[in-house]
Amino acid sequence: MINDKNSQKIVDIIQNWARKHSIWVLAYGTGCGAIEIPPTMTSRYDAERLGVRGAATPRQADVLLVTGYLTTKTLKRVIRVYEQMQDPKFVIGFGSCTINGGMYYDSYNTIKLLDKYLPVDVYINGCMPRPEAVLAGFGKLQEIIAEGRANGAQKYKDNLEWYKANQKKIIPSLLTTDYNW
Amino acid sequence: MKDIKAKLTEKIKASFDTVSEKDYNGNRLDFHVDVKIIPQILTFLKVNLGYIHLSHISCVDWLEEGEFEIIYILWSPVEKLKVFVRTRINREKPVLPNIDMIWRQANTYEREMREMFGIEIEGLEGAEEFLLEDWQEMPPMRRDFQTEEYAEKTFWSREGREDAIDVREEIIKRSREEIPDFAKKYSR
Repeated sequence: MINDKNSQKIVDIIQNWARKHSIWVLAYGTGCGAIEIPPTMTSRYDAERLGVRGAATPRQADVLLVTGYLTTKTLKRVIRVYEQMQDPKFVIGFGSCTINGGMYYDSYNTIKLLDKYLPVDVYINGCMPRPEAVLAGFGKLQEIIAEGRANGAQKYKDNLEWYKANQKKIIPSLLTTDYNW
Repeated sequence: MKDIKAKLTEKIKASFDTVSEKDYNGNRLDFHVDVKIIPQILTFLKVNLGYIHLSHISCVDWLEEGEFEIIYILWSPVEKLKVFVRTRINREKPVLPNIDMIWRQANTYEREMREMFGIEIEGLEGAEEFLLEDWQEMPPMRRDFQTEEYAEKTFWSREGREDAIDVREEIIKRSREEIPDFAKKYSR
C-alpha cells in the first residue's frame, strides 16, 4: 500500500462504506429491550435490507446492542463480551436505562451511565424504543461509520485506565487481563 | 371451607401451644407462632395434614417495631387451602432455624433472605455470596438502607438534569385530582 495520507483516506472511505453496509449485531438481551429485537430483525421491519444481521458469538459481531438496564452483575459479563469482540466494533445503548438509569435511577445494583464503563457510539432514546427508533439508530450508526466518526473502540483503547477504574469501582473482583492491542 | 379451617385449627392447637390463628375470607388461614417451633409445625403440617407444597417464604422488615416477620406460605392440593405460618424475630440479632431438610427448595429462599436481609440461618448449606456480587454495604432490602443515596454515590447521575422541574403539582391542578396524604412525602 502506498504510505501517504491521501491514499489512506481513500482506503478509509472505501472501508467505511463497506462496513456500513454489513453490520453484524450481537444483541445482548439484558433487559426488557430484547423484546424489540425480533420484530426489528424479522419480516415486519426487516433490518436485513439495511445490512443489519444477527451474529452468533461476540467474536463474529460488529455491534454490541445493550438492550436495557444493566445490573452490576450483568455489566461484568458485558465487559467481557465487549473485550472479546474484534475490531471494528461499536456499541449501541438502547433505551433510557442505559442513558440515565431510566426507571431504575434509584436502584442499588443497576448502573445509570453506560458510557462510564463502555464507549457508546449511538444512544437510542425511549422506554421502550419502537422498532422504527431502532432502525433510526442503526441509520445513525451507519452515518457516523461512513463519516469515520464511530471511533468508540479507539476511545476505549486510549482511555483504558479511566474505563477500568470506573469498572473496578463497582466490580472489585473484575478479572482484568493485560490487553496489548 | 369453614369446617376445614376449624378442623385444621383444632388439630394444630392440640399439638402446639402458643399458637394464635387469624381467619381471612376465602381460602386463607394465618397462624402466628413462636420461632422455636417453626420446624416442628411445618413438619407437622407437611407430614400429618397434607400441606405438601411450600409456595413461598417471605420476609417483612418492621423497622419501627425492631422485628423481622417471616411468613411461610403452604398449600394443600387436597383441601385447597393456603396456610400462612407467621413468626417474628428480633431485628438486631436475627436467627432463624433451617427448614431445607423439610423442603429442599427452601434453601434458595433462605440464601436470598440471608443475603438481602442479613438473617442468619442455622446450619444453612451454601451460606455464601448468592445473588449480589461484591456487596460491601449493609443488606440492601433492609428498610434503613438508603437506596437512593447509595445509587447516587455509586453510579453517578447524568449531568444537566439538576434544574428539572417537578411538574406533578401542575398536572394535578389540571386533572383536578387529589393526592392522598401518604403519597405527599414521596413527591420531591
